[in-house]
Amino acid sequence: MSGYLEGILVLLAVNVVFAYGAFLPVAAGQLNLGLAGFAAIGAYASAYLSNTYAIDPILAILLGGIAAGAVALIVAVPVLRTRGIYLALATFAVGQIVQAALLNLEVVGGAAGYPVTAFIRLPTIAAFAAGVVVLVALLFATRFGIAVTAVHDDERVADLMGLNTRAFQVAAFTLGSVIAGIGGGLYAHHFSFIEAQYFNIGLSITIVLYVLLGGTQTVLGPLLGAAVFTLLPELLRGSANWRYVHFAAAVIILMALRPQGLLTAAQIRRLLGLDRAALSRERAA
Amino acid sequence: MLGQQFINGVMLGSVYAMVAVALTLSIGVLNFLNFSIPGLFMIAGMATWALIHAGVAWPLAILGALAITAAVSLVVERFTWRWLRGAEPFVPLVSSMAFLLLFEHLAIAWWGSEMRVLPSLFAGTDWRVAGFVIGVPQLVGLAVSIASIFGLSLLLKRTSMGRSLRTIAEDSDTALLLGVDVNRLVPVVFALAGLFAALAGVLFALNYRQVQPFMGEAVGLKGISAMIVGGMGSTWGAIAGGLVIGITEVLSVGYVGANFVDIAVFGLLLLILFVRPTGLFAGLPAGRGGI
Amino acid sequence: MTNPQPILRLDRITKRFGGMTAIDDLSFTVRRGSRTALIGPNGAGKTTVFNLVTGAVPVDAGQIFVDGRDLTQMPSRKRVRHGLARSFQNVRLMPHLTAIENVMVGQHCHNGGLFGVLQPVNLWPGNRWRAAARAALCESGLEQYAAATVKNLPYGVQKRLEVVRAMMAQPRLLLLDEPAAGLNSAETEALQVLLGRICSSSDVTLLVVEHDMHFVGALCDAVVVLDFGRKIAEGSPAEVRADPRVQEIYLGTTIAEPVERCHVARSA
Ligand SMILES: Nc1ncnc2c1ncn2[C@@H]1O[C@H](COP(=O)(O)OP(=O)(O)OP(=O)(O)O)[C@@H](O)[C@H]1O
Ligand SMILES: [Mg+2]
Repeated sequence: MSGYLEGILVLLAVNVVFAYGAFLPVAAGQLNLGLAGFAAIGAYASAYLSNTYAIDPILAILLGGIAAGAVALIVAVPVLRTRGIYLALATFAVGQIVQAALLNLEVVGGAAGYPVTAFIRLPTIAAFAAGVVVLVALLFATRFGIAVTAVHDDERVADLMGLNTRAFQVAAFTLGSVIAGIGGGLYAHHFSFIEAQYFNIGLSITIVLYVLLGGTQTVLGPLLGAAVFTLLPELLRGSANWRYVHFAAAVIILMALRPQGLLTAAQIRRLLGLDRAALSRERAA
Repeated sequence: MLGQQFINGVMLGSVYAMVAVALTLSIGVLNFLNFSIPGLFMIAGMATWALIHAGVAWPLAILGALAITAAVSLVVERFTWRWLRGAEPFVPLVSSMAFLLLFEHLAIAWWGSEMRVLPSLFAGTDWRVAGFVIGVPQLVGLAVSIASIFGLSLLLKRTSMGRSLRTIAEDSDTALLLGVDVNRLVPVVFALAGLFAALAGVLFALNYRQVQPFMGEAVGLKGISAMIVGGMGSTWGAIAGGLVIGITEVLSVGYVGANFVDIAVFGLLLLILFVRPTGLFAGLPAGRGGI
Repeated sequence: MTNPQPILRLDRITKRFGGMTAIDDLSFTVRRGSRTALIGPNGAGKTTVFNLVTGAVPVDAGQIFVDGRDLTQMPSRKRVRHGLARSFQNVRLMPHLTAIENVMVGQHCHNGGLFGVLQPVNLWPGNRWRAAARAALCESGLEQYAAATVKNLPYGVQKRLEVVRAMMAQPRLLLLDEPAAGLNSAETEALQVLLGRICSSSDVTLLVVEHDMHFVGALCDAVVVLDFGRKIAEGSPAEVRADPRVQEIYLGTTIAEPVERCHVARSA
């Protein structure tokens, strides 16, 4: 496989992982604009572990995810007390603080960046991405998926039905951060060099865009969004600058025409014929 | 030295204050965090440069930049607000982020990504007062920003349009019941926000004489900070917040590293969001407009 | 029926919104096993009573006892576990869930721990909780809508789904806020059948807010009348009908006839 193609596919897999990290809180009705910060924690923690203690990179990446999740859990409780715009801004501030802190952390290279010695290739990364997709899809086929959607749709009613809405929000936020941390670790161990500047607000925004474009109501939305918007620019070619222009224009137009994203749950049910069966039975009755 | 930096901080703060006013207007009235505002700021700055560079007289260039930016803001309104009401609450926010991205990269395609330098229009007009250097554009900038914010609050308090806007800010459902034509007023909010972002961009361009396509990001972050410090939805809070952030920035960059400043500034923001989400100066309920 | 304790007792409840007193020193009890109607003109405070009982809004003064237990200070989320469930005046189903998933939300209070949350209800068609939800839909004649997106369903179906969802919590006291409002006569009839089945197959107590006096007459055996947040009458439908203050509020109109129908409906 050519290096170019492998590079694209690795980026695709990493973006898919990131997208699921953003999807979990969005599914619970929260916008995490600090996702890049948690990805950075995962990247730096795993790189530090594999560099310093020569741990197997796969284990290091998983531990990096746990580190990101632990930080998320600590900030979740105060941050998630805020709502709406306040929540978006609070998560944004957390992301900025993480980035600024890493820029000053000399053990991991500070502003000069941090080389990573261990190296993983596409198959490992693709396996991780597939694992994340399958695990999230399984999770959303449990009562957890119903509960999180209920919290998203109507927090007050969910509370009156006995759901611990805060616990579900904290869980979604934390799990999403674990996944983002894993994505960061994958990135670090393939591209062999990380710098804090990469994990900026722009990255957080792009990932959230993947999710909203793909669709927030179904577990397949983030996969579609990340895939389309990683691969499409490659097909369009052109300079990096024009790719951004196309991407941004596509976001604006798509959001205007389909604010619910490309894929919706109702659509999938229609595709599978579930809704139609219901309707025809209704007509027969 | 310290006094001079204080003066510089005030000047920078007045730019932040105007960006914060633009942000706070759309949050106060529409409860919408409009990320395109840093992009509008950049458009105004770049347009000022481009028009002057093309030989347009500077007063006309300024007017042209303001008009272009306000018009672009109305386009943003079309795509972020009007079409998207009723969607997932953060979809307009995300669309406005895409506009920021779009503006930046269109500007690169158009003008290139390098730093552009404006001619010095007011060379030799610096005032020296008690050993401090005060540039005329700086002074004019401060005056303009305070005057325009004062004008805005008069507009909101005294005119019937302002009263309608404040009704929407308090409760858009009630506003509908009272017969306020929300659809007609929303473009006004966007035009005003665009105008403030544009004023900030023009002042920045004339004062610092350097523009480039990414100039909006740092200023946008500072504007958001100023808005949070001052209290979301409060115009006078935005001025106070802008000055606090501007002065803190100029003073601290000299004494501690810029990165530690970021940690401190964003840490402070987080703290304010937790313990006093209404900002340090305003006493208004969260999420509601206090203009 | 042997337990003489009332299922619900409100003891001198007061609730103010800003300067307006929505509930004013209100006390009443709901007899176990009864089907009690809570009636009163618009803005009388009926929905507010439901909000106070379920904890959606806190009381300013007074106490609330459900099954003899003081729930006044209990967080709203925990109250459903003490035998309370409700429907809402404006349908509040979860628009992004299917009908059967909405019904499964009602099971949460019995299946909410870590083990319950990880139940693969949407993966295993034979999952015990999913089967229970499907059975409940079947019994209510709503099975054909199980996989449908709720926001596309007819209003009457949505209203019945809310009742089914509430029943999944296996409440001892079911609070229904205007279940028949906005329904056409066929839908009202379907709802009546559903409520009749619920009453006959479980020992749940009903507290129903309803403006439709035919509906109240056909369903209920006790009535509490509110006006301006105060109780102005209480008793059997016949007693309430005879009360001059109630007649004054209702201008002596609608109450007479439905009470007659009440006997017909119950003997049928
Ligand atoms: N959350 C609230 N905040 C402020 N006022 C409220 C709130 N809830 C209810 N009210 C007020 O309390 C009064 C009683 O309202 P409530 O909804 O309980 O009446 P209701 O008897 O259910 O009327 P309807 O028949 O119209 O449903 C009304 O004047 C209403 O405006
Ligand atoms: Mg009501």
